[in-house]
Amino acid sequence: MSRVFLHLSFVCLIVTTICHAAAPSMDEGRKHWAFQPLLKVPLPDVKQTTWPKNDIDHFILAQLETAGLQPSAEADRTTLIRRVTLDLIGLPPSPAEVADFIQDESPRAYEALIDRLLASPHYGERWGRHWLDLARYADTSGFHNDLDRPYAWKYRDYVIRSFNGDKPYARFIAEQIAGDEVDGANEQTLIATGFCRNGSSNDDNMGKTPEAIAQYKADQMDDVISTTSSVFIGLTIGCARCHDHKTEPILAKDYYSLMAVFNGTERLGLPSGATDAKDKKVNDAAKVMALVETKPEVAATHVLLRGLAANKGVEVAAAMPAVLTARPVNFPKPTGKTSLRRRTLAEWISSPENPLTWRVMVNRVWQHHFGQGLVTTPSNFGVSGAAPTNPELLDFLATQFVANGGLLKPLHKMMLMSAAYRQQSSSHAKGQQVDPMNHRLWRMNKQRMEAEVLRDSILTASGQLNRTAGGPGFKPRIRPDLLDASQRNKWPAIQAEGTEHWRRSVYIYVKRQLLMPSMELFDAPTTTDSCALRMQSTVPTQALVLMNDDFVEDQADHLARLAKVEAGDELAKIVEQMFMLTLSRKPTEVRMSQAVEFLKSREHFSDRHSALRDLSHVLLNSSEFVYIE
Amino acid sequence: MMPPLTRRQILQQAGAGFGSLALQSLLGADGLLSSTNPMAPRAPHFAPKAKSVIFLFMYGGPSHVDLFDPKPALAKYHGRPIPLWKKEDAFMGGKTKNVAMQSPYRFTKHGQAGIDMAEVYPNLARHADSLCMIRSMHTESNNHAPALFQMNSGFVQPGRPSMGSWVTYGLGSESENLPAFVVLLDKLGAPVNGALNWSNGFMPAAYQGVPFRSSGEPIAYLTPPKNVSASQQRARLDLLKQWNTEYAESNPAETALAARLNAYELAYRMQMSATECTDLKGESAAVRQMYGLDHATTAHFGKNCLLARRLVERGVRFVQVYSGGNEGPKAWDAHDDLKRNHDLHCAETDGPIAALLDDLKISGLLDTTLVVWGGEFGRSPVAENGKGRDHHPKGFTMWMAGGGIKGGMIHGATDEFGYAAIENRVSVPDLHATILHQLGLDHEQLTYRFTGRDYRLTDVSGDVVKALLA
Repeated sequence: MSRVFLHLSFVCLIVTTICHAAAPSMDEGRKHWAFQPLLKVPLPDVKQTTWPKNDIDHFILAQLETAGLQPSAEADRTTLIRRVTLDLIGLPPSPAEVADFIQDESPRAYEALIDRLLASPHYGERWGRHWLDLARYADTSGFHNDLDRPYAWKYRDYVIRSFNGDKPYARFIAEQIAGDEVDGANEQTLIATGFCRNGSSNDDNMGKTPEAIAQYKADQMDDVISTTSSVFIGLTIGCARCHDHKTEPILAKDYYSLMAVFNGTERLGLPSGATDAKDKKVNDAAKVMALVETKPEVAATHVLLRGLAANKGVEVAAAMPAVLTARPVNFPKPTGKTSLRRRTLAEWISSPENPLTWRVMVNRVWQHHFGQGLVTTPSNFGVSGAAPTNPELLDFLATQFVANGGLLKPLHKMMLMSAAYRQQSSSHAKGQQVDPMNHRLWRMNKQRMEAEVLRDSILTASGQLNRTAGGPGFKPRIRPDLLDASQRNKWPAIQAEGTEHWRRSVYIYVKRQLLMPSMELFDAPTTTDSCALRMQSTVPTQALVLMNDDFVEDQADHLARLAKVEAGDELAKIVEQMFMLTLSRKPTEVRMSQAVEFLKSREHFSDRHSALRDLSHVLLNSSEFVYIE
Repeated sequence: MMPPLTRRQILQQAGAGFGSLALQSLLGADGLLSSTNPMAPRAPHFAPKAKSVIFLFMYGGPSHVDLFDPKPALAKYHGRPIPLWKKEDAFMGGKTKNVAMQSPYRFTKHGQAGIDMAEVYPNLARHADSLCMIRSMHTESNNHAPALFQMNSGFVQPGRPSMGSWVTYGLGSESENLPAFVVLLDKLGAPVNGALNWSNGFMPAAYQGVPFRSSGEPIAYLTPPKNVSASQQRARLDLLKQWNTEYAESNPAETALAARLNAYELAYRMQMSATECTDLKGESAAVRQMYGLDHATTAHFGKNCLLARRLVERGVRFVQVYSGGNEGPKAWDAHDDLKRNHDLHCAETDGPIAALLDDLKISGLLDTTLVVWGGEFGRSPVAENGKGRDHHPKGFTMWMAGGGIKGGMIHGATDEFGYAAIENRVSVPDLHATILHQLGLDHEQLTYRFTGRDYRLTDVSGDVVKALLA
């Protein structure tokens, strides 16, 4: 089931489900499933012993058999290569790659395909983007002036590089929380702390009084605490800022104890909007956007009643949330230049003993591969979050992830090699009846391409994708009359796009006050908060962009030319190549005759090239292009 | 294997829980699954008084003590300190001194109810008996960006859905051919926060405000590229419709595929309907004159007011019309010279707002259209730079008209200097709760679940201001 349907069904239910249970007591809270150690789970027994391709499948099949459901047959090779290529690198396979894969008779063909894709530099661009959603990444400050952040992009490139290098997850966590305190701290690990700096800011316009400034600082700190806790351990600790959490066993004191961890930090680097960013005299240390400490002492931290900086309550020490720690975690005496509090937090989060961290991350990976997490509230593993649909599988995956040293690539491979992943995505009545949400995975979920994948796939199909990686964000054309929606740090008016605008979408400059329409309309995150789950909405304004944007028109034109160059003069061959370039497969006979008839009719009004451009445009707008089977 | 569900079966499953209206359109002639359309009309919680809202947003902060809340004490204390003022009330620091400033405007009472209005709103004064003046508004921030966020979304930080998003999420759309939440900007462009002011926040993109421009292309990407003719576009869409229909039919469980078919047809119709809606050629000379379309001062805001009427007439749920754009001082942000600033902005808006109310009355639409006027905060009773006023959130005035709200009344009061709301105080969540109530929505029931929590427009507060209801 698509997320649109999920969303709408709970619109209907919501009126009846608004009443919450109150937050459980600390003792009750400690019993919550997500806070328990990872279970060492034996492989469940299954009847159809020939179906499983690896351990994951035992967990899936056991549930299906219990429900009286059959797994779906394996998808054909064309579908598989398109699915896994879009999934891992966010670009469609070339016609030659499809042909090679179909012809490859080796029993290792599929595995070799996965290995090739995991080794591609485009993998980091695709999977790094998922992380950037969580990290609320943007290139501007938002708020009043939407100032440029001259070196924000270094964090984006750091993330992409980390994914490509398969950095162990514990290290990835530590660098982003405590990049100045980790062993081997260097410029890259300082850049990593951009994670704590990506939120909206209003530095130049936060009020002039000491009260307003204190409140603003507390708001900035809240962004760091809320994001860190929801991203790494899947808890909505930010809700305990004004009062004890209403639904979780988390106290306001827990919140301010985390504030104490970050309370000694300073914001390093050029201020947003600095005009001297390109000045050679600016030293290299200023060319990062980091969160660091420069002295070991940290000022006292107080609970702020109702979240107001002016309402100081009791003093609190740095500590981890009480419900997650049987005994208080020891914060070592500061040595050297920093308090070591964030390093201690990072070590606690990334400890193999912290079950949340590993469950949360494997669930995120599962969600992106399968279209739906085993826990459907990916950044909320608290008592108000969803229960896991397959808790044994979740723990099995988390245990594997810990055991392999927190490497993502082997985790991807295990999921993608499973028979569960290779299933067809077509539905059937029995499945719809027993498990309409497909929680048990009796078929693969069809997914709509995400905004970036759609744009990048259009560029790949047209042969125009500029694969230049990294560096400052680029600004593609936005229709000039839209530009007045943001008066600050204005987007340039661009008459015609060229190859410098046809880079991958992950490198588009993210301007908070004016997001790229083709991204925003297709549910790219708004960047104000961490985004763990994108909507898959379907609205007419999306259709308008795909129908009328000059970008699509330009690429349809290129696609028509490319197909002609590759296929020669014969109409049927050209059509076939256009299908291969866009849908990764040949047209059926019916589609072929419909397409040829259409082309002949269009040629009657214009010429062959114009007719081919029309057909290209239809293909780029088609549901078969936009949906991944 | 059992045969796949028929489309009707899917419809019945997918449609369960929606209002009967939605079901009818599901089973419409083209058999499209519009249940997946997030804009499908939904039943309100109780019988509504209003169907639509026109929010006239005076960005920058219009001065309550110079427009609707006369304070003779400011004349008495003119040039002297007032006892209530605190140094930290100033947003502009030292430029704002504790020196009372009398209003440069004369006030007179209007209508049977004797509503006080300054001389700069002569045309609006004709409608005094339709207006419900709320003189006891207060808000949290004295800073434009957070205060705009609060007025629009209930919260001083970005990230929450705006009121128009909540309303369209709660009720869906009544227009088949136009977006449900439309934003009309000042000629100087958007206020600070830009498009975040009409953001869907954590809701699906379907609920975000769609800015309409009053010249050129009314909606983003509404017109095809120059080298694509109308017949060419239709030919493409015909083949696309055929292929997308076949694909949707062979995948009936994927309701989004059917929604996508609908979206393309609506997009196609929008090209005409939005263009038709913004084409004012058909309006009579009398209408053009009443909205002031032929005078440079009133032309832009007048056009937007007329557009607001046309949008509401066509079933658009929530229209926000901004007066003031870009930099604060270019909007209602009268730091340096209050009179000069408000002379201009009142002249730009007085005639058009009066015309809008006249027009809505003539057509009967005012009964079902709630008109709201106000900014993100008011202005300081004390002077900034001698003749300007600073930002001030502790007390200010907004008014409402139509949509089941009592006319000809004054609700609440500020103290004798207009410094703080002291009587029948109305918070922003109270205002939001009241607006939702008029639309048939209970602000405590209208919730959206995000990261494990049910969010409300009014968060944890807000009471419907019953005294305002007709």
